[in-house]
Amino acid sequence: MSLLEVTGVKKVYKGRRGGASVEALKNVIFSVEKGEYVAIMGESGSGKTTLLNILAALDKATEGTVILDTMNLGTIKDSAIARFRRDNLGYVFQDFNLLDTFTLEDNIYLPLVLAGKKHQEMKERLDKLAPALGITDLLKKYPYEVSGGQKQRAAVARALITNPKIILADEPTGALDSKSSDELLSLFKKVNQMGQTILMVTHSTKAASHASRVMFIKDGIIFHQIYKGESTDRQMYQKISDTLTLLAQGGDK
Amino acid sequence: MKAGFYPKMAVSGMRKNGRLYTPYMITCILMVAMFYILHFLGFSDVMKGMAGGGTATDMVGMGAYIMAIFAAIFLFYTQSTLIKGRKKEFGLYSILGMNKSNIGKIIFWETAITGVFSIGFGLLTGIGLSKLAELGFTKLIAVPTRYEFSVSGISVITTLILFTIIFFFIYLNTVRQVRFANPIQLISAGKAGEKPPKANWAVGIIGLAVLGSGYAIALKIEQPISALMWFFVAVILIIVGTYLVLIAGSVILCKLLQKNKKYYYKTNHFVSVSSMAYRMKRNGASLASICILLTMILVTLSSTTALYTGEEQCLDARYPNEIGAFACKYGFDESLPSQGERLDKILLAAAEENGAVVTNNYTYFVYSISGYFENDRLEVNLNSLTDMAFIDYDKVAQIQFLDDDDYNRVFGHNVKVNPGEAVVGTAKKIAIGNEITIGDVSFKVSGRFDDAISEIDPIAAGAASPTIYMIVDDVETVARNFIQYVDYNGEPMLAWFWYCRFDTGLDDEGQIALAETLSEKVTEELKGKGFSNYYCESHEAERGDFVSTFGGLFFLGILLSIIFLVSCVVIIYYKQISEGFEDQARFGIMQKVGMNRDDIRKSINSQMLTVFMIPVILACIHLAVVLPIVDKLLMLFGLFNMPLLLACAGVCVLACGLFYAATYKLTSNAYYKIVS
Repeated sequence: MSLLEVTGVKKVYKGRRGGASVEALKNVIFSVEKGEYVAIMGESGSGKTTLLNILAALDKATEGTVILDTMNLGTIKDSAIARFRRDNLGYVFQDFNLLDTFTLEDNIYLPLVLAGKKHQEMKERLDKLAPALGITDLLKKYPYEVSGGQKQRAAVARALITNPKIILADEPTGALDSKSSDELLSLFKKVNQMGQTILMVTHSTKAASHASRVMFIKDGIIFHQIYKGESTDRQMYQKISDTLTLLAQGGDK
Repeated sequence: MKAGFYPKMAVSGMRKNGRLYTPYMITCILMVAMFYILHFLGFSDVMKGMAGGGTATDMVGMGAYIMAIFAAIFLFYTQSTLIKGRKKEFGLYSILGMNKSNIGKIIFWETAITGVFSIGFGLLTGIGLSKLAELGFTKLIAVPTRYEFSVSGISVITTLILFTIIFFFIYLNTVRQVRFANPIQLISAGKAGEKPPKANWAVGIIGLAVLGSGYAIALKIEQPISALMWFFVAVILIIVGTYLVLIAGSVILCKLLQKNKKYYYKTNHFVSVSSMAYRMKRNGASLASICILLTMILVTLSSTTALYTGEEQCLDARYPNEIGAFACKYGFDESLPSQGERLDKILLAAAEENGAVVTNNYTYFVYSISGYFENDRLEVNLNSLTDMAFIDYDKVAQIQFLDDDDYNRVFGHNVKVNPGEAVVGTAKKIAIGNEITIGDVSFKVSGRFDDAISEIDPIAAGAASPTIYMIVDDVETVARNFIQYVDYNGEPMLAWFWYCRFDTGLDDEGQIALAETLSEKVTEELKGKGFSNYYCESHEAERGDFVSTFGGLFFLGILLSIIFLVSCVVIIYYKQISEGFEDQARFGIMQKVGMNRDDIRKSINSQMLTVFMIPVILACIHLAVVLPIVDKLLMLFGLFNMPLLLACAGVCVLACGLFYAATYKLTSNAYYKIVS
């Protein structure tokens, strides 16, 4: 069985007082295997952020089910959702979402502290993680003292430190310069090679070309998907651009 | 550019930021109104006419100064929070092509509009409320209500000048903040986040030292009146110390807590300690203000409540009998004792004529001389007294010589004193050796009667300068020794005091009428004979005065407390709201990272409780330190009742605590609504 199974997910935003309803997701079906690195691409308004919010249990699907490692997200009680998110998901945001009152170290500890872990254990986990992410020297600094790329690496550390089943990344390179973007993408690859499942939403072709599979979402459904297979990043990049051109011209598979 | 462009920009900018500006404007108006009321009560002529209002107006006057300092600090604090939220807007203006002087003009208009608006409305509110305050006041002390509406010109002008200056400096500060930043900095200012404060040990230690010395001085003061200057020094040290300790100390405390990994990395503490540490610098100042305000509330409320409830005790202590008469003449005169006897007979005859049954009659005279008392010796020489600069006022004392026969006859004792000896008594049990020297004459101290002093003068213990009573064998022989001493005006220093007091068995009106009759008799008898002072008064006639004085103080106490409480609420509310908006984003992130509503609520409560408890606890400590001085001040009014004062303080702490808790509850709900 797959790690993540999304079946027939539909999301309708109801207009207020009889206003027009908007169907953000129509019928989304896909699954993600353990250890996979999946990118979801789509234009603005295609429904990819809505999908990610549903996967992160920040929002509930109108219809359909999302099952993560045998747990049905739709049936988790409200009181248990925060805990579920903490234990199973790691979230990387476009604008980092680091707390400016904490040092990077404390920002990374936050989910563990919420989970009631001991400081000793937190420190051990971070000591293993920090060198790989290249943030060892930055831990005592506050977010306002470091660059965007460094912030994003700290955010990745925060996502990884709970050993989540899946990492959800929402436009992780969106606020980064190209050098930092490259660094982050190779970091994701490295993390993926260590066995971490990653699901990334992006509209950057370059970011998507690093993934092992790219799904295209348009008008609320998964329109197409391509596998990287044995291709290089460059070949993958070409494949993705071709698909995007096709999509933009309104062609079908 | 078109005329009126900048004012229009300013108005629309403020309107768009109504959420930020409304509380700020309300705060400004309240500050202006409060300052006006305090100044009106403290410095205008209306209150000067009030019987015994001197102390009351002094208190309010001091309140006005503190209010001014407080208003300046608080408005600066508020304004800087406010402008932080608007930097983005100014950045946008400059990107759209405005230069810094254009923006400066907008800021000028905004400040000017805020200033004019809040000073105007503040003065109106203040004037309106000042009348209300005055009305309630006259009702409470049962004096005829003044119906004319009065506005104190000097108060209006002072308020105008003070707040114009404050707003001017706020304007300069705002321009400084906006000017020295480029548009990009301005645009990203909201996100930048300020530098977390460093633990400043030096300031923390200095603060503790300042606070400690304030406490030490306060606890050491024996005589609040003679050491009035020291009392103010103590008050100022305590205020400054509170600010330093709360600003630096709280950061240090948070840093220490953060170092304690076991404590820090707990769900409830993690978020609250870090965000407290982060904004403690600003928090510290407002917490200190809250603490000072609370202390002022507690001190004024408990002292005035104690006075008001103890009014009858004070009256009884000051006027132990229904009728009291007094006469005083400087110098020595052999005929004085017979004069006293004649006066006594006249008064008793007149009293009985008016239907009084005279009982508890205490009539006697003393010879008195004042000087500088040190090492069992009273220095009455001029030089030492004119060396005022070095005088310790606690050592200025008055000696009263009382004949042993008079003492035994009047107070029903059996004291025998030999020539050259004296039985000595002081209300405060001052240590005196075997021999006491007055001028050049020494007396062997053959006994003490400190415990019986209250028979002679029930309020002696509260007097500002001590009186030493000496019972001697023959008061006239003793008095002759001091005839030659004169003060620098050439007046004799020796004085003859005649005291008479008795009960009459008459009703209240009878007593008042009798006192008036007797007063006439005394005047008739003593007028033109060189007496410096004489009067006759009654317990009942003085009650009105006491009620008005103490009632007035009580009223002012309540009024001040209301004003302080209101400003406390304003600070707390504004603090909560502005921090709520600041924290909104933070709690959003935390929810995404896996914090649920319960965790958030717990974390907020933990943070709020710590932040809110600090000023209350510190205010209670302040109160405990200051209470002994308050007790001594109350003794001046003739109130010797520490338990009553403690009870009043307890009730006030409880009442304020409840009010504070309610405010806390309400504002933390407002905060919670914003962040979730």
